[in-house]
Amino acid sequence: MNLGTRKLLDRSFTALGIGSIVIMGLALLVVLAPIVSKGVGALVFRETIEHRKLLSTEFHRGDGRELEKEIALSNGYRQKAFDMLAVFDQELEQMTPERQEQYRESYDQVKTALRGLLGPLPGDTDPELARNRYGQTRWDKAEEKLRELLYEQKWDYSNPDVIAKPYDVSRAPGFAGTSLVRLFPYVEQNLDKMLLPEWTFYWGFITDSSIDAHFFGGIWPEIQGTLFLAIGAMLFAFPLGVIAAVYFTEYARDGFLTSMLRSANSTLAGVPSIVFGLFGLAFFINTLHVSESKSVLAGSLTLAIMILPTIIRASEEAILSVPKTYKEASLGLGSTKWNTIMTVILPAALPGILTGGVISLGRAAGETAPIIFTAAVSVGTAIGLGDVLSSPTPALSWNIYNLASEHEAAAQIRHVQYGMVLALVTVVLLLNLSAVILRARISKKLKG
Amino acid sequence: MRKLATMLVALMVIMTTGWAGNAGAASKAIVIDGSTTVGPIAKSFASYFMKKYKVPVTVSESGSGNGAKSLINGSCDIADMSRSMKPQEIAAAKARKINPVANVVALDGLAMIVHPSNPVRALTEAQIADIFSGRLNNWRQVGGPNFPIVVIQRESNSGTQETFKELVMKGRAVVSGAETQASNGAVKNRVSQTRGAIGFVGLGYLDASVKKIAVNGVLPSAATVKNKTYRLSRDLYMYTNGKPAGVVGTFIDLPNTPDGKRIIQELGFVPKY
Repeated sequence: MNLGTRKLLDRSFTALGIGSIVIMGLALLVVLAPIVSKGVGALVFRETIEHRKLLSTEFHRGDGRELEKEIALSNGYRQKAFDMLAVFDQELEQMTPERQEQYRESYDQVKTALRGLLGPLPGDTDPELARNRYGQTRWDKAEEKLRELLYEQKWDYSNPDVIAKPYDVSRAPGFAGTSLVRLFPYVEQNLDKMLLPEWTFYWGFITDSSIDAHFFGGIWPEIQGTLFLAIGAMLFAFPLGVIAAVYFTEYARDGFLTSMLRSANSTLAGVPSIVFGLFGLAFFINTLHVSESKSVLAGSLTLAIMILPTIIRASEEAILSVPKTYKEASLGLGSTKWNTIMTVILPAALPGILTGGVISLGRAAGETAPIIFTAAVSVGTAIGLGDVLSSPTPALSWNIYNLASEHEAAAQIRHVQYGMVLALVTVVLLLNLSAVILRARISKKLKG
Repeated sequence: MRKLATMLVALMVIMTTGWAGNAGAASKAIVIDGSTTVGPIAKSFASYFMKKYKVPVTVSESGSGNGAKSLINGSCDIADMSRSMKPQEIAAAKARKINPVANVVALDGLAMIVHPSNPVRALTEAQIADIFSGRLNNWRQVGGPNFPIVVIQRESNSGTQETFKELVMKGRAVVSGAETQASNGAVKNRVSQTRGAIGFVGLGYLDASVKKIAVNGVLPSAATVKNKTYRLSRDLYMYTNGKPAGVVGTFIDLPNTPDGKRIIQELGFVPKY
């Protein structure tokens, strides 16, 4: 091969390498950018006065006097809209039954949309559900609701042979000739004065409990549950994994049994996580009765079994990569085998072992399937450390799934779901980061 | 190293002391498992109950079948079910010295839903059965556009599925090409995104993203379910082990209280009492 070809090959390989790194970076960006940008929306948004009312009533937060002033201000504007409704109610009473019927459905829709915007209307009975007690708490959602008030989405069914297309009809002309027609431009122009939106950083999203099945409030119980489950799994799996790895590398003789054990371990690493979940339910809860029902303990044990193979393999590799000379020197100085393992081999292998632990910790925090049947619930309070033995807990991974698919109002609370995703990614990142720092410190200490 | 460990310990201590208070160690938590249809009611009752009685309540939505299993295994206090328990489930419970008692929470209609773009407004029960058994596979056959029908059903563990089979299919098998979704929310989601789709959900899951269909000329609503003109309706249950007593009894009694009735109504279900 002449020099020219070699150089060309060399360059193209470099280009390929740079190219793949760029693609990886882009992929990371494509995945992370929406997670971050949408997730931040759960924390930073334009909150309306309804949100401040909610915080004050449910969490006793905020400046009460300031809030009362604002409420008085917004009520001034709201009252005019309510007056329009009252006038139309009177008009409606004087109409013929046929004309009443003509307006009834559309009027009910207007009222429903208005309730969605501003909360209960005067004359309504006090709603029991928090989702109906308050109007729109977020300005972006309020603007969507305003559209619902101003326009009605209809489907063009005129041609029965084709699938229909949607089109928007303004509601105002439907009420032409009545007093209600003034309501629509009034609300459109004065919505900001009725809701008084302000940019806010809602830190309570991280520290509050949820209100009314995640409609409002925060996700602290889920974050805490995730931490408990991941740390619990590590408490079981890490010591067991390291001990098993020491046995495999230092004590086990190469033979049929050892190779069987090793391949069993590899197989375990490839078992789908839902199988572990069902196993956890059948073994820990129904057979061993570690707890009466789902619990953090049962979930941690299940997750521990799931991550055990990874930890064993990583620890084995780490121990094997400790130079033979270390061991020989230690043994040559008259140290016992046990002493050598504890004071020479394990400390030298610790950074590698920790890497395995870090990967497993992230996996334990993010897995959904193993905790569906063993630990996770869709609604529950934050639990104390004393309750981990017997209480189930909400957890981020499971609740993200729940909000994405099962929740009855999934489309209305997407921002909570996005916030949870961001929280989960952040939790995993922080857990990893702390382990990386720990690892760096240990490596430094070993060298110095 | 030591600093880091101290920080970790501090974090743990904060977690324990700061939030152990609201865990309510004083009274045992009520554990609820089961139907996704009853889920919204159970979750709202739980919030209400925790606030009013300070008793922790946890709710999981894993389907009626799993709820029954949990009750039989003694791993939940209340099993939400959108169908009544089968004889073999009762037998299995009896074998484990568990005495399942049915408590009706609310009435619910099984709403047939299609994509809002679908011009079809009404179907008869016979047509629905034909669609789900695969005899009809194009909307043109029921007065709609020339568009293939996508049948969406629930998983075998679902009480809603069992009720549907009992009320509509009457022994006929669902077409093998039917798509299976694991919860009411998932069915609604799928139907709202699939133009030719038809599925069924509980009343509490209806919203503007899907179009409900009149069955035998009657639209599903709280009123038509209550006066029984809408045929596809059923009771929703909370099963307990023995007659409910203590805090569980108070919880089961919620549908009889004015507040409980309002919660059920606001969620779109129909109070029984």
